[in-house]
Amino acid sequence: MTDGTTSIGAPLGRRDLLKLLGGAIALAGLDGCERLPDEDALPYAEMPEGETTGIARYYATIVEHDGIAQPAIGKTIDGRPIKLEGNPAHPASRGASDAFTQAALLGLYDPERSKQPARNAFPSGWHEWDGAIADLRQRNDKTAGSGFALLTGPVGSPALLRQIQGIMDRWPATRWYEHRPLPDMGRNRLALEQAHAVVAFDHDLLGPGPLQIFHATGWGARRRAFQAGDGSALLFVAEPSPTVTGVTAQDRLPAREDRMGPLLAALAARIGMPVPVPTLSTPEAGWIERAAGALMAEPGRGLVTVGPHHPPQFAALAFAIDRHLGNLGETRFALQPAPGASSSLAELTTAAQAGRIDTLFVLDANPAYASTDGAGFAAALGHIRESFHAGLHADETAALCDWHAPLAHGLESWSDGETADGTVLIGQPLVRPWLPVRSRHRLLADLIGRDGTDRELLRAGWPDLTDEAWEAALLGRPVGPAPAREKPAAPRSTGPAGEPQGDLCVIVRPDPAVWDGQFASNPWLQELPRPLTKIAWQNAVHISPALARERGLSAGDMVRLSVGRARIEGPVWILPGQERRTILLHLGGGRRAGGSVAEGAGFDAWPLAAANGPVSLVSLGRNEPVCTTQHHFAMEGEEFVRFVDGLGDRLPPEPPKANFYPRQLSRPAWGMAIDLDLCIGCNACVVACVAENNIPMVGREEVAKGREMHWIRVDRYAEGDPENPVHVFQPVPCMHCEDAPCEMGCPVNATVHSPDGLNLQVYNRCIGTRTCSAYCPYKVRRFNWFDLTGKDPPELKAVRNPDVTVRGRGVMEKCTYCIQRISGARRQAKREGRPIADGEVVTACQAACPTDAIAFGDTSDPATAVSQRKASGRDYDLLPDANTRPRTTYGARIRSGEA
Amino acid sequence: MTSPHPVKSDPERVLRLPAEFPNKRIWWVLFLFALCLLGLFLVSVAVLFARGPGVWGNNIPVGWGFPIANYVWWLGIGHAGTLISAMLLLVGREWRNSLNRFAEAMTLFAVTCAGLYPILHLGRPWRFYWMAPYPSTMEVWPQFKSPLTWDFFAVLTYLIVSVLFWYIGIVPDLAGARDRATTRRWAIFFGLGALGWRGSAQHWQRWQRAYRVTAAIAVPLVVSVHSEISLLFAAGPVPGWNSSVFPPYFVMGAAFSGFAVVSMLAVWLRAMLGLKTLVTERHLDMLGILLLATGLLTAYGYLAEAWTAAWAGGRELQTLLDRFAGPYAWSYWGAVLANFGPLQLLWWKRWRTTPLVLFAIGTSAAVGMWCERYMLVVSSLYHDWLESSEGLFHATFWDWSLYAGTIGLFFTLFLLFVRFLPVISVFEIEEARHE
Repeated sequence: MTDGTTSIGAPLGRRDLLKLLGGAIALAGLDGCERLPDEDALPYAEMPEGETTGIARYYATIVEHDGIAQPAIGKTIDGRPIKLEGNPAHPASRGASDAFTQAALLGLYDPERSKQPARNAFPSGWHEWDGAIADLRQRNDKTAGSGFALLTGPVGSPALLRQIQGIMDRWPATRWYEHRPLPDMGRNRLALEQAHAVVAFDHDLLGPGPLQIFHATGWGARRRAFQAGDGSALLFVAEPSPTVTGVTAQDRLPAREDRMGPLLAALAARIGMPVPVPTLSTPEAGWIERAAGALMAEPGRGLVTVGPHHPPQFAALAFAIDRHLGNLGETRFALQPAPGASSSLAELTTAAQAGRIDTLFVLDANPAYASTDGAGFAAALGHIRESFHAGLHADETAALCDWHAPLAHGLESWSDGETADGTVLIGQPLVRPWLPVRSRHRLLADLIGRDGTDRELLRAGWPDLTDEAWEAALLGRPVGPAPAREKPAAPRSTGPAGEPQGDLCVIVRPDPAVWDGQFASNPWLQELPRPLTKIAWQNAVHISPALARERGLSAGDMVRLSVGRARIEGPVWILPGQERRTILLHLGGGRRAGGSVAEGAGFDAWPLAAANGPVSLVSLGRNEPVCTTQHHFAMEGEEFVRFVDGLGDRLPPEPPKANFYPRQLSRPAWGMAIDLDLCIGCNACVVACVAENNIPMVGREEVAKGREMHWIRVDRYAEGDPENPVHVFQPVPCMHCEDAPCEMGCPVNATVHSPDGLNLQVYNRCIGTRTCSAYCPYKVRRFNWFDLTGKDPPELKAVRNPDVTVRGRGVMEKCTYCIQRISGARRQAKREGRPIADGEVVTACQAACPTDAIAFGDTSDPATAVSQRKASGRDYDLLPDANTRPRTTYGARIRSGEA
Repeated sequence: MTSPHPVKSDPERVLRLPAEFPNKRIWWVLFLFALCLLGLFLVSVAVLFARGPGVWGNNIPVGWGFPIANYVWWLGIGHAGTLISAMLLLVGREWRNSLNRFAEAMTLFAVTCAGLYPILHLGRPWRFYWMAPYPSTMEVWPQFKSPLTWDFFAVLTYLIVSVLFWYIGIVPDLAGARDRATTRRWAIFFGLGALGWRGSAQHWQRWQRAYRVTAAIAVPLVVSVHSEISLLFAAGPVPGWNSSVFPPYFVMGAAFSGFAVVSMLAVWLRAMLGLKTLVTERHLDMLGILLLATGLLTAYGYLAEAWTAAWAGGRELQTLLDRFAGPYAWSYWGAVLANFGPLQLLWWKRWRTTPLVLFAIGTSAAVGMWCERYMLVVSSLYHDWLESSEGLFHATFWDWSLYAGTIGLFFTLFLLFVRFLPVISVFEIEEARHE
């Protein structure tokens, strides 16, 4: 332990640490200078003075995603990181998080992480690695880095940039390549909280990705302001396949990807810019008319944006429209230009094939899998004399390189990173590494032979920072002042313009859960039902209902899809709302060296991501059912999700129902209100709940059987015209019914009501009759069909929240409203001799939600946020005819976005 | 109704059956087959206990699958015995005497099979006794509002009363068999069971009282047990379950399935053991009539249920339509056809008294009633309230193996009974003849 604010509790549990310490001693002679004395971990057997076990400590840190840092607060108990939350003090998080940030915690504990250096895929040691790096250094010193190339993933860490700069300074002939598997987000940022009307052209603003939290919190703030009567919150989306952004929009236009150019031009022409007017179809023209009207109604309060995968001309045109309407600097601003200039992977491949690269150092990138030209990269490696790879996993790229070194996870290393809004945060480790791994800063420092601990390396990168400012930075404050929100400059608009494509249009997008494949080894994400399809553990060939009808295909029919010479085979999924001739594929499946979790999870769509040529879709004549958690997406005339037309409209009052039992009027009376007008179906709540409540993952086969364990699920319905239906999301946790049918059914009193209105599940009383589940109208209960937890490896046991019981075989479980958090708040309030304040209990799902769709609190007090939501006039019970008096209620979605 | 035509051959032959068992080879073949199935039962239970209920096809939403469907099915079969014995005893229908003994045995073994299912069904079967109201140190009692608690009481009561009734009924015959035993081994075997019965007037007087009192207790149980079982469904707010017609509907269905199996056993036993003079065509005729009557009452239940669902509309109607045309329509139409199709032959005495036809109709009804139980459990749960919760159930190998295993358990016990105990109530037939 060093000092109070920066100290990190000793890692892992006591027993594991004792083992590790034994191992560390045994290996002490082998690993030489690896562990400096002040960095040694101490077991909790020698507990620090004044330390109480079971008391949580919180550390401000970051979770980096594709080079963009997500501000986070890590919770550790007895030295084990057990939960990540967003950093409430930071504007790029406001306390919210996303599924990726939540699941990063499991990535830290991944039992299949690389554990030791390897040479030619055979186990080696750090000593050998250091020897090879020393040779490389000598070589580079002689040649000034000629023939040496560094390949990194997207770099967002100023410290890392500085280190790379240091390498280039020392060896000027070094080439730095930055591999961005997915389109660059650029340096423009969208202030959605300011934008009363947003027109998005095939841009999944609110969807998964490194800017999701930033965008979704902004949009949520705007929508809540709209609900409060403060301006419009209109969203117009034209897109080829439904995304969470598109289905959240009031006005969605299904349009082919190659229609985005004409549509943009039409919008520009409509608002009076000198642009040739393209021919539009009637729906397109109508949509442009409405979008333009909304944009022009409030100049400076609008925003036009194009998906980053579109050609730069489109972004330039959208930019020009924003400039024309005076939106620059209002809803759209620019970050400081990124320092340092890197080259792309394609340039690396070309240079290597030309024999210009002799040695390659790959840091935290996997181009052998996650790139449009993985085969080209593999071939290029053949021209390179010596290659080094450092990564979390011995992945596809590691297999091709001569050397592999295990990288420290972001949550166990010191680093810094630029957040979505351009501020820089320090990332503290939540735990000392328990594996013999090195951080990326350490590895680059080794390259130039620089000493010092990771912390010293990072601190040295901020020489201007006073110690006070450094301490503040460790508490989650940005380093330095917030950058001014500058008016962006016009983007360069080179490169090919979009061209009309053939009849069938294949679009390849990152998977909403495993992204470009980097999370394929994370079961929390693999098992996460994709927002629009509820598919888990695989990807699919998404087609429109019209195409399915034309080809006689139904869900699960295996097809062969080829684009030019690239082809994949996969099951069909029919997605209402997808443009008729568009075929959507998700990346991230079919990992070849993704470990046991990723094995068999989907097909690899990367080869099709940049393929050109004729498209063919051929049925293979067999059906392989797609693994999904929801099978029926129509409401069939029911009102599970309710709507009001405009702001201020109220739902018709529900007639009171006969009931033998008096209402429970305890104090507090816990309740939840979920505003469906704010829910964007992003799944952050689902993964947050998994992390908080030790929810086991069951794997593909069990999910397919209907045995997933999620305590909160996000139902999705699509109503209306299958060409362009209204999609709605509905998160469903336990309703905590006052008159709960489950409680009546249980023969052994294992599910009972608490005095403060919770429907409790008493695990150690449950004998597993499953009557409660049979009787539950909402089917929110989950059963332990097997022993799902007992055989977990120690790493997965360490990730568990010690405040939540781990359930054994044969018992029922379900959402508890995070009773451990309620209990913690109650104890705290009792100690301080006061009632529990409103907002003091925040459930895990509520904390994660980027749009504040979930409110929780005491419903017996009319002043609480949850009571006010429930009194809003949009509040309704799910399944009122079940007459269960649910404590979880929903806010009807508002069809309009116009103030 | 009068007693059947006087039997020509000696009913006492029944008492000698164990010692002079005919068709020993057939018995052995059947018994070995039943033992194989029993082995399958043990393997299935071992796998279940080792791995957990996930070996079955159950899921969310269909948390109840085969175990509950089979439980209701077995318990239904277990109804005819008591109904034939106790109710017909109390109303003085002596023709029952040729049927009651093995019908009661059937009840006993069927209830055993039924009673095992809810325990095996549990997530933590080793805790099944928590359903019993015993004074635990934690002072936790069962939850008395739950139909499962009452189910537990009901089945346990029914099992105890059935055992008592069957045993009291068999005591005089055990004594008779003891007295006619040709070897010491058989004499000791029957003697132990006969509890020192000597046939004195005082014995008979006490026996009469005990037998009739037990019968009087058993009769209401016939109604109450299956009514109680029906509450398992009727009390749940599940479309297709939540219906007040369920108690009588279940009792009728239970009696129907029970008579179906009694008919099958009667035809089989009279053929195998050569009891054509004891189980006469008259008996087959009576069984056929009972089967037809209870079958028609069950059919009425179907109609009433469909009518109330159509009347209620909404989700009840949706569930009805799911049953008609959903993924489990086979179970609905299978139940309707197998239960009520062949049944119509029983309007004619000619078919009622043709053993093979009666056997086939009984089999058909047993299969049909199984389809009905399956339909009831699965087709309601797979698609209940929220469209999003819809999920299909697919039975696994272990579902089927455990079911086949319980059939093995039933036949093992029944074959042992047939082999070693008097299968027909000899003294009652004699008594009726003398009167």
